[in-house]
Amino acid sequence: MSMFTYAEIILGVMVALYAVAKIFKLSTELAMLAAALGGGLAGGFGLPARHIAEGAITYLDINLIFISATLFMNILKESGGVAFVIRGILKGFHRSRILLLMLLAVLLLVPGALTGAGSVTVLITGSLVAVVLGYMGIPRVKTAAIIFIIAGLSAAAPPVSLWAMMTAAGVNMPYFGFFLPLLIPCVIAALATIFILGWKGTPVDLEKALKELPEPPEKMSWLRVLTPFAVFFILILTGRLFPFSTPVLGLPFMFLCSALASFLLSPVKIRFFRVSRETIDQLLPLIGTLTCVGVLVQIMTLTGVRGLLAVTAVTLPVSVVFASLFFLLPVSEAVLMYGSAPVIGVPLILLFNTIGLDPIVALAGMSVIWPLGDALPPTAIIGRLTVDVAGYKESYTRFLKACAVPAIVIVIIGTLMVIFSKALNFLTIF
Amino acid sequence: MTSADYIRKAVFLLLGLALLVASGSSFYRSRHRVETVVLGEGVAEVVKLSRYFSPLEGTANDCSLYILDSGVPGATLLLLGGSHPEEPAGRLAAWIFAENGIMEAGRMIVAVSANRSGSTVTRPSGAYPPDYTIPTAWGGKTFRMGDRWTSPLDQWPDPEVYIHYPSRQNLAYVDIRNLNRTWPGRANGTLTEKTCYAFMELIRLEQIDLVIDLHEAELQYPVISTIVAHQKGMDLATYVSMMLVDFEEFDMGTEFSPENLHGLSHREIGDHSDAVSLLFEAPEPFLDATRGKTTREQLLTGKDEFVVKAGEHGLLFEAIDEHGWPIDVRVGRHTSAVLQTMESWTEEHPDKPLVCAGVPRYAEVIERTTGAYLHDPAAAPPDRVVNE
Repeated sequence: MSMFTYAEIILGVMVALYAVAKIFKLSTELAMLAAALGGGLAGGFGLPARHIAEGAITYLDINLIFISATLFMNILKESGGVAFVIRGILKGFHRSRILLLMLLAVLLLVPGALTGAGSVTVLITGSLVAVVLGYMGIPRVKTAAIIFIIAGLSAAAPPVSLWAMMTAAGVNMPYFGFFLPLLIPCVIAALATIFILGWKGTPVDLEKALKELPEPPEKMSWLRVLTPFAVFFILILTGRLFPFSTPVLGLPFMFLCSALASFLLSPVKIRFFRVSRETIDQLLPLIGTLTCVGVLVQIMTLTGVRGLLAVTAVTLPVSVVFASLFFLLPVSEAVLMYGSAPVIGVPLILLFNTIGLDPIVALAGMSVIWPLGDALPPTAIIGRLTVDVAGYKESYTRFLKACAVPAIVIVIIGTLMVIFSKALNFLTIF
Repeated sequence: MTSADYIRKAVFLLLGLALLVASGSSFYRSRHRVETVVLGEGVAEVVKLSRYFSPLEGTANDCSLYILDSGVPGATLLLLGGSHPEEPAGRLAAWIFAENGIMEAGRMIVAVSANRSGSTVTRPSGAYPPDYTIPTAWGGKTFRMGDRWTSPLDQWPDPEVYIHYPSRQNLAYVDIRNLNRTWPGRANGTLTEKTCYAFMELIRLEQIDLVIDLHEAELQYPVISTIVAHQKGMDLATYVSMMLVDFEEFDMGTEFSPENLHGLSHREIGDHSDAVSLLFEAPEPFLDATRGKTTREQLLTGKDEFVVKAGEHGLLFEAIDEHGWPIDVRVGRHTSAVLQTMESWTEEHPDKPLVCAGVPRYAEVIERTTGAYLHDPAAAPPDRVVNE
């Protein structure tokens, strides 16, 4: 049997098992696990315990970031800090919708740009922005779409864009020259997104908003709210400015430091263990998804299914590759998350380089498109996190539809950057 | 909770425990698998890397160094295998030198596990086999598979972005655990940086003249089947390349080490020491993102229909057909390239010769197989067997 036939059969088995599991109303996580186990059995690997466990810890670091960042935000909420900030933003900027929207776009862009993780944006500033957008008369579904799309752009924005960094490393290319090719499309697309989805609404009724919003504790102050954020950014900046004299802390520990600061500065007593337990309860579905996706990807790699998908994608005609970037990149992201960079990004960049395109601008264009896949199944990690944070509880499909217009804008920008990368290589100056 | 809930939870707990025990024992075996080096008669001394930088003592990266000393004045060569343990031909070629090499002029110091920690772990989502076995006349020798990066058990967490010392170049976060992105290292850095620092101390203290770092690369990687040379070693690399193409009948190109790509051995060793630094790349289809089934067989035969298809579409930088890239071919390229480098070096520097006997060249490795040059530890005197 050829390797193609073998991998196609296993892919078929995995898809069929996933479908059957869903018919029997198993959760997406268990359906993915069933597909993975079935793939292993069909591939002749039995139930490979080592691969199941190894796959399950693929996203351990991301899980730890989610847990620590959410704990921080939950403590901040409990202390009354979130209500305090929202009231402050509304009081200061309620008169100018343009200024308010631009401020919110910047608030969403910064955390992800510094850390390379859209999830950090969603967790750090997502809930604040969601409430403010709500008082601007923007429906929850559009609010969730704004946060998701700009969080994705923030992850692609410089200085840290993991897709660009990982792909560049895979083709022996220094991570240099990416700043403007990443910054310009991210800023343009972020502003376009917030104005497309957020322009229509109602003026902020300050009196009503302040009445409805919970009253923060009397002793709450900007110092108490901003200090934990300052702790986070100081730790990030210290690592960047003095990388050779500071130990590597890692994002989870930095968020824990912020959580501790928030806990200590809270004007009200916080029941730490209750908040911790609620945080884990809140995140358990997400952690389950990431764990099962890791197992699924591991078995796909073991059996050659991942290779089958990769080789099929990169051997399409170049014009078809251009035309399918809007589909290929988000779908690979949905399945592999950052793993899509080495699996799909590397061969595509080599292909583009071979036909004379500028690899830096082309990769920047691709990096802008990739995060759109974070809302798509089977993982949909950031999408699900966003709807949770934004308090949107209706149809997930409606949320995806709300993302469609800015997503199309982003896809067009990214694809044009790839096609016209050579003409745009003047941007690669630093 | 109802009794049904308790039963359900108990079943999942038991399944979880079974998974924990089965996978945990496999991971434990990977981390603690003993690999033996049977010292060839050319090995005068075995020392630990921590001899050159004591903070490494007791860490996973305190690797063994095999010193082959002719006693005849000449140059000193440092041969690095296992910088990326997932590239087995580099380790195996270095192993052959340690078990068979006899220096007739000059000295050679061999590391078969330059990033020893990286050899004790496999990559999540990579589906690597935990080990592989090279067939030998006495039954076969099993090696740890390893990964590209230092084990997170030895170095964790990663930063959100890795800033290389001393250039301050930003690199992907995970490369802070990549031994070939952390040269020249830092005394107060991470384990991987300290390992590079220790090697740099070795290079300075032992007055190393030439460093060769053995690697393998995926076929879709542009730097493949080539010698990457610091500018100090470009003439030497060009001459070696010509000789290999003319006399050994395999293609070996040359490339300048990019000046603005930092952390790599071919750039930083040359910049921060008197040594000439070269890096050899052999083809390894197992590393290709488009590879098919991830198995030991694929690792050792290099046969892969999916990679062949990628090649048919012009996506590869090295040819591949149904014969693949067998491990003996990849190991033989490395042994020949190292031997040829020593010969060409000696022609360039007759006052500082490097002459090595006992190590097979390309054609011999293919004819007799790699296993023919790996010796049976059970048949060797115990004091001539070292655990890696």
